[in-house]
Amino acid sequence: MPNDAMRDSLAEKRWLTALSQGDPQALGGLYEMYGERIFRYTFRMLGNRTDAEDATAETFLRVLRRSAELRADGAFRTWLFRIARNLCIDKMRQHKLMELPSDAHYSGSEERAALRVTVQQALADLPMEYREPLVLCDLEDMAAREAAEILKISVPALKSRLYRGRRALRDKLGGTLERTS
Amino acid sequence: MKNELYQKLVDMYAGRELPAELEIEMNTAASNDPELDREMMTLRSTVDTLHTLDDPEFTEESYHRILMKLYARGAEIEPQVPASSHFQYHLPLQG
Repeated sequence: MPNDAMRDSLAEKRWLTALSQGDPQALGGLYEMYGERIFRYTFRMLGNRTDAEDATAETFLRVLRRSAELRADGAFRTWLFRIARNLCIDKMRQHKLMELPSDAHYSGSEERAALRVTVQQALADLPMEYREPLVLCDLEDMAAREAAEILKISVPALKSRLYRGRRALRDKLGGTLERTS
Repeated sequence: MKNELYQKLVDMYAGRELPAELEIEMNTAASNDPELDREMMTLRSTVDTLHTLDDPEFTEESYHRILMKLYARGAEIEPQVPASSHFQYHLPLQG
């Protein structure tokens, strides 16, 4: 295991043990470790900073509420992403009902920003079963096995959805990529 | 696409999952087949774009707003990054 990964794993174990023993500072440690990744994931799923902040906060609150069930067995990250995913699905259902616009704002050059918005919109238009593997594997660089665990599907099923999702996204983007490459 | 196997190979090519020898064979096949060539290039370009897309920015404001939401819902949490002055004081505006 590389040093960074080992250090993270030990820190995670320490915070989880502390949290299960009722140490109120432990949630801060876990937020430092995973807050940014959960925010990025929820932002990509929801396309909206305010909702991503809400979903991230709610994810960590659920960790706190269920701290007695926590086990430092290496599956915490997968569990954390599952919580975030369920919250995103709930929020997307609400958006569908209320038809809220997305707000995919990023910094950077105008051309790259335009590409990011185009890709974000194309992703948002994809069916959920395609969007989720693309966000986890291609945007979050997660291994297929872990992404499959989060989505509660087999690795072959994940790969199949990932490949179909890439094709669907390519078709939605049309000539955009050729113009920008 | 000629068949399912080709499609699977193109998918793996796009994700850079093929061993080097197979990738060379795919490139050779594509040089004689414009349709295959286009399929391989557009799909790989899609995957590359996703991999190089900038991350949404996790701003200091977002970091602290999330902390505030946690406090507001009763979580005791100690920020490890000190809040900027505009997050620390909320003075009433006087006209």
